[in-house]
Amino acid sequence: MIRLQSSWLLESAGEVASVDSIFFPFIHRYSSLNWFSRRGLELTINTPLDSQAMLMRVWLDARKGPFSEKNRRKFNQLIKKPLELDMNPFRNWNDRLFSRQQLDYLFYWREAAYEIEDQAQREIFWGSVYGIMSYWLSNRRVNREPAYQPDEIMHLVLNLHQEHCENQDAELILLNSKFEELSPPESVLAVFPLVFTDEEDEEFQLQSIFHAWYHGHADVEQARRDIKNQLRQYSFSTEKKTDFSTLLKLSEKSEVVAICWSGVELPPKIHEQEIIEPFRREFVHRFSRSQFSIKTVNPARDSYDYLLLFFN
Amino acid sequence: MLITVFNAILIILITIVSYKYFSLRESFGSEKHRATAYAEALGTITEKIEAYENSHVNAMAAMAIEIGKARKLDPEQLDALTYAVWLHDIGELLLPRELLKSSEKLSRQNLFLLRTHPLLGEFELKNRCSVYDEVPAIIRWHHERWDGNGYPDCLKGEEIPLCSRIITLVDAVSAMKSNRPYRTRTMSHREVLRELDLQAGLQFDPELVEIFKGLYPESKEELH
Repeated sequence: MIRLQSSWLLESAGEVASVDSIFFPFIHRYSSLNWFSRRGLELTINTPLDSQAMLMRVWLDARKGPFSEKNRRKFNQLIKKPLELDMNPFRNWNDRLFSRQQLDYLFYWREAAYEIEDQAQREIFWGSVYGIMSYWLSNRRVNREPAYQPDEIMHLVLNLHQEHCENQDAELILLNSKFEELSPPESVLAVFPLVFTDEEDEEFQLQSIFHAWYHGHADVEQARRDIKNQLRQYSFSTEKKTDFSTLLKLSEKSEVVAICWSGVELPPKIHEQEIIEPFRREFVHRFSRSQFSIKTVNPARDSYDYLLLFFN
Repeated sequence: MLITVFNAILIILITIVSYKYFSLRESFGSEKHRATAYAEALGTITEKIEAYENSHVNAMAAMAIEIGKARKLDPEQLDALTYAVWLHDIGELLLPRELLKSSEKLSRQNLFLLRTHPLLGEFELKNRCSVYDEVPAIIRWHHERWDGNGYPDCLKGEEIPLCSRIITLVDAVSAMKSNRPYRTRTMSHREVLRELDLQAGLQFDPELVEIFKGLYPESKEELH
């Protein structure tokens, strides 16, 4: 879990350089960039996952506009009779992750969208499903029946997307490259939200389910492995030696590098020893100065947010 | 003889230490009591600026503590939650007054300005007060939404600290049951519960909605 505190990050980096462009070689969750996308900055954002890249195109890039009224009328339909479960590629999720009715919609939305000719419009429709899955799963975790019907929640999420389009104000370059194929841009600030190899939270589970759905299958375990595999070069481990070469390469054209993460159940001293010191050892050849900041979230649980900056 | 003298000295020492302990505890207790009263007063001043007619923050604090207890927060966390409730909108004191009293739809620029108040509140408190250092963070995130579409950081789900999620819920409940410049009438308890149901998993943590419904079921028509 990472709490990316956008304004804190920008203020801290702004004290050591004039930041007008930011590079995120990886972002743990596309919506954590909403704050940046409304600030008129030049943002270069990459994710190696095709499903997350699609979500970024939909939710961060306003240039393609909102979902059209015509498409809403045509594709956000109420399913009057249950669909044949045997035909549904996601049937293994029945009662485990989603209800029967929800599965019908997950099948229908995915298939119906193929009839939308414009790819950007199709992706908006698919991209909305991520928010809907999140809504369904979080209600399911506490055994709640969602109050909105599937077509109603789709309508709401599409409205939310329209609002996003109205407020987006950044110059965006969205990339979908593997880390080894990615060239570092000339952004003033490079930000690395730290991904730990052994951490899998609810958002990771949602991303795995969505990744499987996006690829048209129900094998969440396979999707989970795909994601882990894609992040192998990027993720950090306190247990075994981390290869920093990818991170060093991706930040070589930036004046400032920011590493940010959130910790819980371990005191800051451990984070200094296990995370900050290894980073300092690796980055000292490129940057003469570093600055470490902590923000308290909940001291009773040793919950803190950390920000480590490297600069000259 | 020696043992008797030793015992006497020991008794005197224990008496002195006990006296010091109880006097220190009393002075700390009264200091905390005074600080609490000031925080509460500050909260009620802020709610006047926000054009609340009734006791918005006190209603919020009462509900927040009940939910916090149901979620098994320890006394220290409950204290931090209470302070955060009273001070959650303190950043609004630094905004133009007409912005808060406006019944018109806010322009994009004014909406942006209004949405800086959690950051202003966090910043000012962090710089001026070092006790309960989690309170500024709770305040920073009291307008985040469970679905990740809130502000200022678009945190999602459990990324949002529990105390901030509680404040989001009780702030909304109290606002729904109060007269507001942008609405013609207050909502009944039944309508409030319906709205919470609709927003569970979107604006609010669904678990907190369930806890709230358990604490304040439909039969308890009046919350205040």
